[in-house]
Amino acid sequence: MSSFIIRRSRGKSLLLWKTHGFKITSSFSPSSDSVSASGFSSFLTRSFKTTSSGNISQKFGDFGYPENGFVSMTRRLFSSDAVAVPATCDGLTVERIIASQWPILDENESDWKSHAAAIAQSIQVIKRRLQWKKLLVRLKVLSAELNKNDLWDDPLHADKISREHGSLMGKMKGVVTFERELLEHIDMLKLTKEENDSELESETLMALMDMRRVSKEKELAALLSAENDQCSCFIEVQAGVGGTESNDWAAMVMEMYKSWAQRHNYSVTVVDEMPGEMAGIKRATIKVNGEYAYGYAKAEVGTHRLVRISPFDSGKRRHTSFAAVAVTPILGDGSTRVQINESDLRIERFRSGGAGGQHANTTDSAVRITHIPTNITATCQNERSQHMNKASAMAVLQSRLDQLEMARQTAMNAQHTQSLTENSWGNQIRSYVLQPYRLVKDLRTNYEVSDPDSVLEGDLDGFILSFLSYSLDKGDTEH
Amino acid sequence: MIRIFPSFRFTSLLSAAKPFCSVACSSSPAREPPPNLPYPEVKSITVSKTPKTPLFLRTPSHVTPLSEVWKWHDWAKDLASSVESSSTKSNDSLESVTLLRELKWLIEDTIVDDPLSILHKKEIEDDDKKKSVKLRASLEELYDLWKQRIENRRPFQYVVGCEHWRDLVLCVEEGVLIPRPETELIVDMVEELVSRDDWFKKGIWADLGTGSGAIAIGVAKVLGSRGKVVATDLSPVAIVVASHNVQRYSLEGMIEVREGSWFEPLKGLEGKLVGIVSNPPYIPSDDIPGLQAEVGRHEPKLALDGGIDGTDSLIHLCHGASRMLKRGGFFIFETNGEKQSKMIVDYMTNDLKHCFSDLKIVSDFAGIDRFVTGFRR
Repeated sequence: MSSFIIRRSRGKSLLLWKTHGFKITSSFSPSSDSVSASGFSSFLTRSFKTTSSGNISQKFGDFGYPENGFVSMTRRLFSSDAVAVPATCDGLTVERIIASQWPILDENESDWKSHAAAIAQSIQVIKRRLQWKKLLVRLKVLSAELNKNDLWDDPLHADKISREHGSLMGKMKGVVTFERELLEHIDMLKLTKEENDSELESETLMALMDMRRVSKEKELAALLSAENDQCSCFIEVQAGVGGTESNDWAAMVMEMYKSWAQRHNYSVTVVDEMPGEMAGIKRATIKVNGEYAYGYAKAEVGTHRLVRISPFDSGKRRHTSFAAVAVTPILGDGSTRVQINESDLRIERFRSGGAGGQHANTTDSAVRITHIPTNITATCQNERSQHMNKASAMAVLQSRLDQLEMARQTAMNAQHTQSLTENSWGNQIRSYVLQPYRLVKDLRTNYEVSDPDSVLEGDLDGFILSFLSYSLDKGDTEH
Repeated sequence: MIRIFPSFRFTSLLSAAKPFCSVACSSSPAREPPPNLPYPEVKSITVSKTPKTPLFLRTPSHVTPLSEVWKWHDWAKDLASSVESSSTKSNDSLESVTLLRELKWLIEDTIVDDPLSILHKKEIEDDDKKKSVKLRASLEELYDLWKQRIENRRPFQYVVGCEHWRDLVLCVEEGVLIPRPETELIVDMVEELVSRDDWFKKGIWADLGTGSGAIAIGVAKVLGSRGKVVATDLSPVAIVVASHNVQRYSLEGMIEVREGSWFEPLKGLEGKLVGIVSNPPYIPSDDIPGLQAEVGRHEPKLALDGGIDGTDSLIHLCHGASRMLKRGGFFIFETNGEKQSKMIVDYMTNDLKHCFSDLKIVSDFAGIDRFVTGFRR
C-alpha cells in the first residue's frame, strides 16, 4: 500500500514538473530508462539495480527528483528474479488490458482505452516474437551464472555469457520500457482527469496515439522478421480436380491475390498462366514485387476450399472446389542461393508439332525449364520474347530450388519441422462458403469474416496477420 | 544458281509500300517507291525510304475517353475469343489465348498511362468513366489494326511495328522477316563461344541476310566494345530497317549495314572474318503455298524461299564461308530442320573437303535440329 502512495505522489510531482515548464516526454525518460530488477512495487530497489543506475541517479539529480534520496549503492548487479510486471497505480497491466477486451476503434477516435488496447495487443505480439517466457527463463539462468563468484575463472565463457545476457537484457528492456510507457500514460490520464487539466490530458492522449502508431510498426516488424520475409515472391495457384468449376475457383483465388498485391502497392506480373478449357485457369504463377511480399504471402500457402452453387452447373447444385497455393521467396543477391548447373537443365519450347523456324510466325514463345536432378519445372509464356520467357522461368525455377533447399535445411533443424509440415502445400487452410451461408474461415486460426466478397476482392490482411501472430504463439508455447 | 526471284522481290516491295496506316507516317513522311515501276536490277533501286515508326515509339497525341477505349477493348476481346469456335481446328488457325495475350501487348504499346487501369475495369469508379487516356494511335486505327490482325492474319509484329527478340525491341515492317524465337539461340551460341575465347571478340563478324538486323545487333552486343559486325542484305527495305535498329541501339560504331547479295558487299574481306552467322531462306519452294497465313501472305518470300529443296542459299553460304573465314573462324547457319542440317554437314564434309572442322548440328528448344555450326580449318 505504501508503494501506491509513493507512486501517486510521483505522479503529482510529474504534473508539477509540467507546470514548471518541463516537457512531459522528458520527465518520463528517467523512469523509462530504468528497468526494475527486483520488483516495480518496491521503489527502494527500483532503479538502481540496473546497469545504468549511475546514469539514472544523475538524471534524477538534474531533475531534482524527489526520490533521489532512495538511490543507494548495491553490490548485486544482476538480479536473478528478472523483471516484475509493470503496472499502473491501480494495478492495471498489459495483460489485464488485453483481458478486458476493450474495443479497438479507429486511430482517429480519441478514446484512450482503444489506444491502450491496440498498443497492448502489439506488445503481446512483440513478446511472442521474442518468445517472452523462454527469454525470461534464459535471462534468469544467465544472471545466475553471472553472479557466480568463479565466473571469471573462464574468461571466454564469462564473455560469452555476459554478451548473451546483455543482448537479451536489451531486448527485454526495450519491451518493458514500452510497456511502462503505456502504463504511465494511462496513469497520467487518470491524474489529469482528477486535476481537470484538459490541456495535459489531450497532450497525453496525443502521446498515446503516437505510441499506438509506433507499436503497430514494431508489431509488424516483429511479425515479419523471419529470414526472407522482406523478399518479393512468386505466388502460384493450381486448380484442384473438378474441371471448369475448380478452374474458375483457381482464377478467383489468383484475382484475390492480384487485388491484395495492388492494395499493398506491390507490382504484379503474370509469369505463367494455363487457362482452363471453358473458363478460369488450370494453374498460374504471378510475381509479386515489393518489400515484405513474401513475409505476408507465405501465410497463404495451402489449399483453399470453395463451397457455392456452381454457375457452371445447369442443375444449380452445390459444388466444393479446391485450389492449391504455393509461395516462394525471390532471394536477393546477397543471400545464399542454390547454384544451378546449366547441364542439369532441360529447356523446352512447346509447339503444336510443325516445322517451326521460318515456317511459323507466332508470338507464343513459352519455355519450360526442367531441373533434371529434382524434376522441378518452371514455365513462362507471358513475356514477349523467348529469351525473356526463359529468364523469367529461370527466376521461378531458382526460387523453387531455393525454397526446396530452405525446406531441407529447416527439416534438419528439428525445431521447425512441425510448423513446416503444417504449412506445406496440400493442407487445407481456409474455407470460403458462398452458399448456403456466407463465411470465410481460416482453419488454422479460426479467424473468420462473414463477407466473402471483401476477401475475394483482396482484403486478406486480417487473415494474414492473424495467422502470422498465431505462428508466433505456437512458437512461444512450444517451448 | 538462282538466288533472286524478281517476282517475289517485287511483291515483297509492294507489300512494304502499302501504307502501314495514315498516322504512322505523319511524323516521318515516307517516300514510297512508285508501285508500278518494274525493277530491272537490284543495284538500280535507290530507295530513300524512312522506316516506319512502331506503335510504341509514336507520340501519344490521341486523347480518348476511357469509356471508348473500354468499348474497343471489349470488342477486340470478343473478336479474339470468337476465332477458335469459328475456324476449323487445323494447324493454321488462330488461338484465342495467343490473341488475348497479343491484345494485352497491343494495349501496352498504345496506352501511355498504366495499362492495368484498362484491364482491371471492375475496380474503376463511375467518375473514372469521364476520364481520358492518351493513346499512341487513334481508336479508329486500333479497330482497323485489330481487324487486320484477325481477319487478314497480319502478323502481330507488323501490326505493332516491333518484335521483342532476346532483350531487344526491334522495329519490323512488311518487307522484312520477323525474327523468330529459334534464331535467338544463334546469339546464345556466339555468346558462349566468345566468352570462352577472346580471339573471336576482336575480329570481324558477318551477318548475311540480316533482315531487321536482329542477329547482327545481338552478336554485336555479346562481342563487347572491340567487336565489329558487317550485316548484309539484298532487300533495300531490310537495309533501311536494319540501319534504323542499329541506330536505335547506338551500335553504328560496331555494325556496318551493307546492301547486296550475300558476300558481294564483303569484297576485300576474304579470309578475314572470324565469324559468319546467317538465317538464310531455307523453305523448299513447294512448301511456300502451304505456309501459315501470317507467313505466306505477309512476310517477304525473298527471306523464306530456299529453292527446290530449300538449300540454295545454304550451299552458297557454305562456299562463301570457306572463302571468307579466317583459319579457326566460326560459323552458324540456321536450317529447315534435321534433313537439311544433315545435308549441309554432308556437303561440307564431302564437297568442301578439309575446309571445316568440328561440324555440329544443334537443335532448338522444340527439339528440332535447327543449326549447323563449325570452324574453318
